[in-house]
Amino acid sequence: MGVMRIGHASLRVMDMAAAVKHYENVLGLKTTMQDKAGNVYLKCWDEWDKYSLVLTPSDRAGLNHVAYKVEKDEDLDALQKRIEAWGVKTTMLPEGALPSTGRMLQFNLPSGHEMRLYAMKEYVGTEVGTQNPDPWPDGLKGAGAHWLDHLLLMCELNPETGVNTVADNTRFMKEALDFFLTEQVMVGPGGAIQAATWMSRTTTPHDIAFVGGPKSGLHHIAFYLDSWHDVLKAADVMAKNRVRIDVAPTRHGITRGETIYFFDPSGNRNETFAGLGYLAQRDRPVTTWTEDRLGSGIFYHTGDLVPSFTDVYT
Amino acid sequence: MIFDTRPKMPVTIAQTGESYPCATDESLLKGMCKLGRRGIPVGCVSGGCGVCKVRIVEGQVTPLGPVSRAHVSAEEERAGFTLACRVAPATAVRLEVAGKFEKPFSKGFAATADRVSP
Repeated sequence: MGVMRIGHASLRVMDMAAAVKHYENVLGLKTTMQDKAGNVYLKCWDEWDKYSLVLTPSDRAGLNHVAYKVEKDEDLDALQKRIEAWGVKTTMLPEGALPSTGRMLQFNLPSGHEMRLYAMKEYVGTEVGTQNPDPWPDGLKGAGAHWLDHLLLMCELNPETGVNTVADNTRFMKEALDFFLTEQVMVGPGGAIQAATWMSRTTTPHDIAFVGGPKSGLHHIAFYLDSWHDVLKAADVMAKNRVRIDVAPTRHGITRGETIYFFDPSGNRNETFAGLGYLAQRDRPVTTWTEDRLGSGIFYHTGDLVPSFTDVYT
Repeated sequence: MIFDTRPKMPVTIAQTGESYPCATDESLLKGMCKLGRRGIPVGCVSGGCGVCKVRIVEGQVTPLGPVSRAHVSAEEERAGFTLACRVAPATAVRLEVAGKFEKPFSKGFAATADRVSP
């Protein structure tokens, strides 16, 4: 069946101790592993594979790569052929290239971001188990996020030179990886330029999103919470921990998500959000946002664009 | 701030001539934000995004944490560039704002807007 869901994000951080403290105490992840290179691996309580976040020590912030999990090992061979046929070069990394992880198909999106696909990651189980489980475990820290849900990549877009890697990525994800489009932002004369897209493989409004910008980068990684009240509580946790909040709790028009945005200690933007918005389906008509109503699409209540949110990324 | 009795140093933004007091244990950016003042672009306030890039023209600053090399090179650092969110004033400081917001969807659109505006 090909790609199932987001598997992990690998982020660069400039202060490992501060980063681990942030993802453990504010988001509620737990460290599951460290490797000799100083990379730290973490997971959320409701995830069953060994890690969903890799923190790597660096002199800058940003994304190393994002990985999606495919259902079967042979899917990797089939997808390698399709990706190469689409015109994107791939490399098959051997098992163990990342600890506790099977072989990984590595390639770059048209926007330049590194993506990897894998079929196997060590199973460790959720914190409530599989037999007569409680709805949530005791001893959760901070926001107690359920799982890594999606990420948003900033992609180079320059209409004057005809560069639009948002549209290129969207076409690639659809044609090579069978993602489907749920929402899009169309701008410019006649609304002809596809400036942002939200795409899915599961039944949630987005498993990945692309937004046009002057250069490619990471806008945010997002973690899932149950309810609007959990979003509010997450904001309390951030205030308690002196976390830089970018956007206080509000709702997106796009995806209908209830959300809060904030920064990790290296300036990588995080989101905790609730509300699945709607059931995303392949035959659900695509939602389009126009340039004049883009503000409402982003922050539904005020309809105002926030410069630190739209223009700042790592 | 009325109830903030911490020792402070004056920080002056060269381009606008605006000045504000900043505590010696607080970043130049936080000090500005706390007073509701503007002048230096505010982004992640964590050393990663680079929009608050400044050049220290006069005075001494104390480093508070790592600054992304993607935004301040070693050479720039020697020339006095840093991020306002990562340094506190040790003395009176005069700075030049070097960072700026780069609008998404903007390349091309902004240029077009400039051409048609009076």
